[in-house]
Amino acid sequence: MSPVVREGASRPLRPLSPLATDLAAIVALTRRDLLRFLRDRSQLAGAIGRPLIWMLLFGSGLRRAVAGPAAGSLDYRQFVYCGAIAMTILFAGMFQGITIVWDREFGMLREVLVAPISRLAIVLGKTCAGSSVTLLQALVAAAFAPFVGVHFGIWDGLLLLGSMTLMSLGITALAVAVGSRMQTFEGFGVISNFVILPLYFLSGGVFPPEGMPEWMRAAVRLNPVTYAVDLMRASIGQPHAFGAGVDVAMVSGFAVAMCLLALLSFRRASH
Amino acid sequence: MSEPAIRTVGLSKSFGDFHALRELNLEIPRGTLFALLGPNGAGKSTTIKILTTLLAPSSGSAHVAGHDVSNAAREVRRKTGIVFQDSSLDDRLTARENLLLHVTIFGVPAKERAPRVRDKLAWMGLESVADESVRTFSGGMRRRLEIARALTHEPEVVILDEPTVGLDPQTRRVVWEHLAQVTAARDRTVFVTTHYMDEAERCDDIAIIDHGKLLTRGSAREIVGEAGLGRLIVRTADDERTAREAEVLGYRASPGPDGLQIQGAKPEEMLARLAERGLGLREARVLRPSLEDAFVALTGRDIRDETDAGAGRHAAMRTRLRARGRTA
Repeated sequence: MSPVVREGASRPLRPLSPLATDLAAIVALTRRDLLRFLRDRSQLAGAIGRPLIWMLLFGSGLRRAVAGPAAGSLDYRQFVYCGAIAMTILFAGMFQGITIVWDREFGMLREVLVAPISRLAIVLGKTCAGSSVTLLQALVAAAFAPFVGVHFGIWDGLLLLGSMTLMSLGITALAVAVGSRMQTFEGFGVISNFVILPLYFLSGGVFPPEGMPEWMRAAVRLNPVTYAVDLMRASIGQPHAFGAGVDVAMVSGFAVAMCLLALLSFRRASH
Repeated sequence: MSEPAIRTVGLSKSFGDFHALRELNLEIPRGTLFALLGPNGAGKSTTIKILTTLLAPSSGSAHVAGHDVSNAAREVRRKTGIVFQDSSLDDRLTARENLLLHVTIFGVPAKERAPRVRDKLAWMGLESVADESVRTFSGGMRRRLEIARALTHEPEVVILDEPTVGLDPQTRRVVWEHLAQVTAARDRTVFVTTHYMDEAERCDDIAIIDHGKLLTRGSAREIVGEAGLGRLIVRTADDERTAREAEVLGYRASPGPDGLQIQGAKPEEMLARLAERGLGLREARVLRPSLEDAFVALTGRDIRDETDAGAGRHAAMRTRLRARGRTA
């Protein structure tokens, strides 16, 4: 021990304003989850491995099963490229909800709950943190473009990045909403599978909606992931179903709505 | 500032028909090292949860550092440092990273973060392991780190829930030496719950609660005195006569193996009054009860089922007055 060091020698504190504290907290919580992610080798391996598997499975395996051009002039690998990025974001993003269950289980959440920050800052911090980790994984998936015959310039690439970011925010916020209400890891797993699979298969990402029955096509039109995939396709100049404006409105609207849902569900669960 | 560090007025909390806290009135002046004692399920955790803004009271009010926990939670949190019973550290981060995260979310300006963290790590003797992952820390190191963390944002009130449970005697001592320093500096108030009576005796001020109600309040000495468990053992020229004299003075006297036992709240005073009567005192011993004796006498039992907090009220009252005295 070092008994020479006295307590109480430091100057009185002039704290930051509430808004500045909230903003600093969002950055600090994001940094914390990124550090945790980068230090966990198995998570890192999964982050690189998962998109690799999707690209291989969809790009090469399904390509043979689906004969002829899937949409317009695209072959199946090119068609499913954005779908595989969306799949990566769905899985990685929903998985981020588990970190909330984890934080509650291991006490860290309480430290955050007694901090002088708003509940909105906690929810946004968790959402930004989860989105960053998700986006990192989506970037790994996107990097496969040249191997599946997808080519685009820097500008289009930046547009694609923007689209991926929007979708990551929406999906992670949904995960935070679900994670706030879950008490166990198992419960979270069950719920997230029920969320991921329909959102994915009804998005037009793996197969075009043209061949679907009418009720399914209606579901596709209601699915926010549909617009996210469409936006990604639009950004790299692939054929797409809606206008980019509609897509941006739908995906941003979804992200904002999910943040609000996350805030409500977090407030309910933490009081 | 004359505003007390903590003030509760008629503070109550019910869960359905279970009353965890009933009309608790507490006023703790600034600069006090305060201990809240009570058996398991007495309402200690509920009190802490309300004071730390994690639980809303059913009725009554609580002020911490001059702010109402119900409508100024943010101010209360900013001025309070908390050490929870279970660790709330992130074990994937280093000690320094944990503290840096804390000062950031507690509103310490960017320039001051690193120096404050460094000061507190040094104060707790943790600077040599500052950049090691908390995962490698022992229970004692984690606890010291959490206490250091709770102080980095210069809180006015520090609340610790059973801070020394599961620690070895050396670490317990280190923790208490540091807590004493915390109150000594700058009028800071330390509010601690504990099961260890020797720890409570280190505090300036103690409150004992049970079944959500305040049973007694005061210094360890006052509480022990009030419990009326003091005993005087005397040998006199004529013990039977002494016994009669004692009864006249309102004390209870009974013959024992070591001499005549006389019971009363203030043994020294009894001794003085008996001596005035010239009873030919040959030998006198004052047996001072411990805080634990007083605690058991007040709460009626010394063991309670940890997992069954609510059932305590149905259990039959089992009063065990232990006559284990210490020679003064």
